[in-house]
Amino acid sequence: MNGPVIHDAHSLPVNDNVNPYAFSVDLDGQWFLQKGKMIAYFGQISFHGIGHGPLDRLIRSSFHSPLHAADWVVAEGRGRMVLADRAFDVNSYDLEEGNLTVRSGNLLAYQPTLALKQSIIPGFVTLIGTGKFVAASNGPVVFVEPPIRVDPQALVGWADCPSPCHHYDHGYMRGVLGGVRMLTGFGGTSGEEHQFEFVGAGTVLLQSTEQLMAEQPTGAPPDEAGVPSGGTPSTHGNQPSAPRLPGQLGDLQRRFGL
Amino acid sequence: MPFRSLNSRMVEAQVLPGQRLFSQRGAMLAYKGEVSFTPSITGGQGGVMGMIGRRIANEATPLMTVEGSGTVMFGHGGHHVHVIELSGDTLYVEADRLLAFDGSLQQGTMFMGSQGGVMGMVRGQVTGQGLFTTTLKGHGAVAVMAHGGFIELPIQPQRPVHVDPQAYVAHRGDVRNKLSTAIGWREMIGRGSGEAFQLELSGSGTVFVQASEEKL
Repeated sequence: MNGPVIHDAHSLPVNDNVNPYAFSVDLDGQWFLQKGKMIAYFGQISFHGIGHGPLDRLIRSSFHSPLHAADWVVAEGRGRMVLADRAFDVNSYDLEEGNLTVRSGNLLAYQPTLALKQSIIPGFVTLIGTGKFVAASNGPVVFVEPPIRVDPQALVGWADCPSPCHHYDHGYMRGVLGGVRMLTGFGGTSGEEHQFEFVGAGTVLLQSTEQLMAEQPTGAPPDEAGVPSGGTPSTHGNQPSAPRLPGQLGDLQRRFGL
Repeated sequence: MPFRSLNSRMVEAQVLPGQRLFSQRGAMLAYKGEVSFTPSITGGQGGVMGMIGRRIANEATPLMTVEGSGTVMFGHGGHHVHVIELSGDTLYVEADRLLAFDGSLQQGTMFMGSQGGVMGMVRGQVTGQGLFTTTLKGHGAVAVMAHGGFIELPIQPQRPVHVDPQAYVAHRGDVRNKLSTAIGWREMIGRGSGEAFQLELSGSGTVFVQASEEKL
């Protein structure tokens, strides 16, 4: 039987995974990390809440989610720092003059050489520049190339694809049999009527399950004309106004104009 | 070989025109190409009679038909996924553990009480499997889910395998299973080992066990 692996300050991996669920950062300078994701460290490291104090310049250059700032801290100093998040799989990614958009709850930490910005798509943040970041996922991450259609719950993020859009599959609700299905609810729904579609060049990151990680607030964008979901917080989930009757396929009928 | 493991929790399936797959509803993670997902009213094969049989046997799990041409990735609930290739033999598995399977496989239900009489019925109660189980027969592949990793144990004649009923996932081949009990006075006074019931599998074949005692 193998006991637990024993690490000291020197044997901890340098910017690599300790095991699938923990990542060791070789800190010399500064890193941004989400609050509460540091589980251990060696060396001289101090953690500053951001939004005030001496870090103003750094924040200005690499942090662009003003209302989201309370969820992040800056680790500063020298040493090794171990990051983990509720036993989710953790991976590091390198960007070189690139961009990657990721679900806000999945991002754990990033180098300040990257700039973090709110994505136009609600619930996502974009990293731009050169550097390393650490993200968690529920199950190992699979990289796929577009064109591909992805279950919304399985999407972790994407790099370089400018075209995330919605795709609806509801062919089975058409036609005579579809009409019977629709009127009676007989047969139910496949649960796969809605996907995110990606085309063009790039990479799409998928997690292996359809269980999402808790979403982190990204902050509301300014209330301006032309800004998606600006000002008003986006309402999550379609609340049916009346109790659902047995013969209804829920909101699908309304959404597809059937 | 339509299924390919991407990692421990995901499989990729090739869908070709004219062939179809069945998969659990909502288990599709992503797809390429033109593929359609239709909820299967009858929950698999065999038409209406097959559906009624499965409803009675409580082995009706919501399935969908996957057709078209392209590749589809499946995964569900963070469970480990294992691909089992069948070449003419029969796989016995609970319907809710099926992630996806080849449309060319013959799907049926089997009354477990027929193996072992009254003890067979007790077995169904203890394992939580009920009295029926799903069988898949023919040539093709099946993606089965388990909580925790998969362990494959060979069963040889004269070498029966005992498994914890909660860890049992599926078995294949010519296998008889019965519940063996080891209830003594310790169990009566509440000082049992917690392993009073075991599933004894004998014959020749393979049993698949999960590295966890949690049911799906």
